[in-house]
Amino acid sequence: MPEHVVGPVAEFPPGSQRLVRLGRIEVGVFNVDGVFYALPNVCPHQFGPLCEGGVTGATACSAATGWKFAWEREGEVVTCPWHGVEFDITTGRSLVAPDRLKVRTYPVVVEDGQVKVRL
Amino acid sequence: MQATVERTDRATISDIIVVDADIHINDTPAALAPYCEEPWRKSLEILAETPSRYLDIPGFSPTLKLDPPIPGGHANRSVHTPAEMRAELTAIGVDIGVLFPDNLLLFAPLPNIEYAVALSHAYNRWLTAEWLDEEGLYGALLACPQDPVDSAREIERYAANDKVVAVYLPTAGVNPLWGHRTYDPIFAAAEAADLPVLLHSVTLVSPAFPCQLDQFENHFGRQMLSHSFAMMANLTSLIHTGVPARFPKLRVGFTEAGIAWVPYMMWRMDKYYQEYRRMIPFLEKRPSEYMKERMWFATQPIEEPDDPKDLVRMIDMIGADRVLFASDWPHHDFDHPRALLKLPMPIETKRKIMGENALELFGIPKPVGKIAGVA
Ligand code: FES
Repeated sequence: MPEHVVGPVAEFPPGSQRLVRLGRIEVGVFNVDGVFYALPNVCPHQFGPLCEGGVTGATACSAATGWKFAWEREGEVVTCPWHGVEFDITTGRSLVAPDRLKVRTYPVVVEDGQVKVRL
Repeated sequence: MQATVERTDRATISDIIVVDADIHINDTPAALAPYCEEPWRKSLEILAETPSRYLDIPGFSPTLKLDPPIPGGHANRSVHTPAEMRAELTAIGVDIGVLFPDNLLLFAPLPNIEYAVALSHAYNRWLTAEWLDEEGLYGALLACPQDPVDSAREIERYAANDKVVAVYLPTAGVNPLWGHRTYDPIFAAAEAADLPVLLHSVTLVSPAFPCQLDQFENHFGRQMLSHSFAMMANLTSLIHTGVPARFPKLRVGFTEAGIAWVPYMMWRMDKYYQEYRRMIPFLEKRPSEYMKERMWFATQPIEEPDDPKDLVRMIDMIGADRVLFASDWPHHDFDHPRALLKLPMPIETKRKIMGENALELFGIPKPVGKIAGVA
């Protein structure tokens, strides 16, 4: 599992979203409330630049919310800029079809003040 | 798995000429004003200074926007210059594209006839003056349902322009529907100029059938029916007044409703043709035969069934010669050419759908090689 240093931790503050190129692939590195995640910048739908999309929360509405709209997962959802499919940054799974439409997640570690992504 | 798909696609896209039957240019009031006759130029100059929203300019692209904004979602994109369009099409592997407007997708509901005529002239002047010199960009003239006689003259005016390859029939909110005999001059002119007519709709809430979408609580509901119902309604309209029989060389294209509705309409119309022939005796053959003979269907937004073979069967039912690739670039639901190229179809069929059918329909000379290069 090759490990890539992507930069000093100060360059990835909470709420940040950065694209880094690691050899042949491009990866989005997200800092969600102090926890790091990395996803490939390729959407499984039509291969759009997934990690360039906006990061927000997401609407929810179910028996658990009393069938009222709720706003959940603030800062944990990235929306593909091509056709708007929402992905959970923490799992790589889409909200619309978590088992069918999903991307892998790469482990991210912080060591010696450096953010490292393991491919 | 993903890597394999991408590799195959690159190999395929690199030697297939991709012709895109539906791309959009940003037609703002400011852009059209210099091309517009007075006094309507003044109207456009005022609109150019008025804050406006995407596809929602009062007196220019009138619609009802009913939904509260929700954070997230994806941005609306627009393309403002031919060079920008060329670069963006190249980036997605499209060699040749047929241009449609953005805002004037909402042209048909404009009630002021004289203003609508002036706008249609301005759009056609702007399109032909500013956009068509760029390699691979071809234009569809804007027809003006508000004044079909003037519109016929407009078609004659541009008939000799090699880069004008179609007539765009604004379909959202058109009233009456396109089969009405009032539009005969447009069809006669298009037929004489050997230009196919292309129907194109957009989501619109208006009192004109089938756009009364006000009872849907959100845009999902409206989007489900807007384009598809518009195409089904106008196809029925064209058939039920005998347009393809009365204009035996007229070719008609349908855009932005996907293709899965087409076999349904073929079979349904054939069934009721048997029962009601006496009401439509001008038809000399079954509706599906007219469709297979002289109607074309653009793919976007292409259906994405779990089993892609279902879609391939759908294409066979319509006839692979009558299906045209379209991306709808740069709109929110555009299709990348890969969406079609990855289907399990023979390479010959892909060549037809991705480009050869369109080259023939639009009379565009086949380029010697890829204009878009290899992405
Ligand atoms: S490519 Fe990402 S949503 Fe379509």
